[in-house]
Amino acid sequence: MIGLDQPAVLFALPVAMVPFFRRWLRSSSVPRLDLRPHDGASRFVDRCLTLAGVIGLAALVLGLAGLHLRGGSVPHQGMGTNLVLLIDRSSSMDETFAGRAPSGDEESKSAAARRILLDFIAQRPDDRVGIAAFSTAPLEVLPLTQSQSAVEAAIAALDERGLSQTDVGRGLALAMGMMDDATVTGSRAVLLVSDGAGVIAPEVQEVLALLAAQQEVNLYWLYLRTEGAKSIFEAPAPGEPDDPRVRPERHLHLFLQRLGQPYRAFEADSPDAVAEAVEEIGKLEARPILTEHPVPRRDLAWLVYLLAALLAGFLALARWLERPFAPRAPLPPLVAS
Amino acid sequence: MRLPRRVVPPMLAAGLALVAALNPTVPGTRELRDVLLVIDITRSMNVRDMDGRSRLEASRATMRDWVARQPCGTRVGLAIFTERRTLTLFTPVEICADFASLAGALEALDWRMAWEGDSMISKGLNHGLARAAELDAALVFVTDGHEAPPLPYSGPDAFRGESPGGIIVGVGGPMPSPIPKFDEDGREVGFYEASDVQHAPARRGPPPPDAASRPGFHPRNNPYGESDLEGSEHLSVLRASYLEQLAETRELGFVRLAEGPEAIDTALAGHASARNVDTPRSLGPLFGFLAFVAFLAGWLPRSRTWPLRKFPDGQRRPSATRPGIR
Repeated sequence: MIGLDQPAVLFALPVAMVPFFRRWLRSSSVPRLDLRPHDGASRFVDRCLTLAGVIGLAALVLGLAGLHLRGGSVPHQGMGTNLVLLIDRSSSMDETFAGRAPSGDEESKSAAARRILLDFIAQRPDDRVGIAAFSTAPLEVLPLTQSQSAVEAAIAALDERGLSQTDVGRGLALAMGMMDDATVTGSRAVLLVSDGAGVIAPEVQEVLALLAAQQEVNLYWLYLRTEGAKSIFEAPAPGEPDDPRVRPERHLHLFLQRLGQPYRAFEADSPDAVAEAVEEIGKLEARPILTEHPVPRRDLAWLVYLLAALLAGFLALARWLERPFAPRAPLPPLVAS
Repeated sequence: MRLPRRVVPPMLAAGLALVAALNPTVPGTRELRDVLLVIDITRSMNVRDMDGRSRLEASRATMRDWVARQPCGTRVGLAIFTERRTLTLFTPVEICADFASLAGALEALDWRMAWEGDSMISKGLNHGLARAAELDAALVFVTDGHEAPPLPYSGPDAFRGESPGGIIVGVGGPMPSPIPKFDEDGREVGFYEASDVQHAPARRGPPPPDAASRPGFHPRNNPYGESDLEGSEHLSVLRASYLEQLAETRELGFVRLAEGPEAIDTALAGHASARNVDTPRSLGPLFGFLAFVAFLAGWLPRSRTWPLRKFPDGQRRPSATRPGIR
């Protein structure tokens, strides 16, 4: 699409009509009109001169108005997914995998997650990524976007101290709800990154089941297991209690399995294990996706200025080469005395 | 070889247009102010006293307009405030490349994001200042100044540290208005009543000097007295003088949201240091305009006939008025 910076300048366009009312070359006096030969080539050159003037003036006006091609976007078929990162902001994420406050060169769980997610996003240019966080309340951090810089800024902001509790159920509902109309063409995935879970209230469970069926979301849970915490895959030994209050992580896992959507859980108890799990998710979520690539604005002013320069040069040449029709005025008539 | 004078205007036009096409630039600088935008999302921001809109809605819309006014290259980060701290949603991003993300995230701000209901403005402001300093940005803190629970008698927390500069944007109306109340599922169920909220200042720090004359005073068991248990904390109003005082002690400016994006710009310019970036100014339009003038100068004068040569006897013939070629 063609655009103008200063459309008001176009009011000067009628000035480009001036060449229709003026002659570029000088006229020659001839004593008799029928002495003048009928010359098609001359007429053609004359018309060209007028046209060069009109086009040249109009081109300069367009250049002054700031002619440009508007930027926009072109559809692009890539490999990726519509991914919502659902990140746990509870304060336990600030501890290391060993469950301590980080000291020396130890890395907290949130720092490890941040580093690995940044790598992950950098490798996947075709993804449309949104970010949600949850603690006591779910937070929509960044709507789905293709802008890597925005996603990086949102992930970088996770370096702050975490908040209080973990309400994973509402967080999941928010993440699934963030899948908008733009995501119908590709696959949809929610990657939950957390180091724990909470009890999901029955009414939230209902909402989640409904949302999962509606939105057809692939679910991934990257469980950052603290040393000593029980595995989510491990069934309790006979006699041990098995209910959501005692083992919320295991029961979240069971609940997500029950949702009837493609679901995989990854348990990671070290930064390396997290990196492996993320790589695996990257492989699973490489599907055709229709996204848009931005097209920057392109300036056209230089082009019209160049055109005007060429036309002005042509007109200058015409004046330089112009010669009178007759070398001098005719002699006075001979009169018999 | 001498050029005929008539050739000068088109030659000049050609040259100037060529220069315009090459688009020369002169170096220039532009002041940019990176900003961490913190928006208060506590309950009092739901009060609908901004021309029928809630304070939060008005803040979202005005700050979006304000961001849209900033020159490209400005970086804006977004954070929310509730409880006693701010939470950064994203670190500053370049506004022209990421305007859609910024506007989308602003639009998504909601009181339901609050992880706790407290609204300790002075503590949150201090936290926001520290965070903004860390991100190398000025602070723009949008709030109504409603402290809940009320401040203790010792007053707001002082700020220690280096202030990165910035402004407090006050939002709210001049009349005390009721605060909407929501049930657990987020449905609006009326307004906060006087009995729903704490009116007495927090029982921390020294008691007021006149405590001994208050009813119920007891030096050991009730050193604050009981005269302050009732109040109008369930109504909310823009506490401009309180915010001005907070701003003053923190090298910040104060401006009302209702004054609009221009006023916010002016206030920020006075209270935040700028980053100078080189912005080459294009001279293309200048040369383009000169080329246009020269081009037109070539066309405007009436084209005359060739001058007639003199006859050998020095007599001159009158020139013909009819055009020769055409």
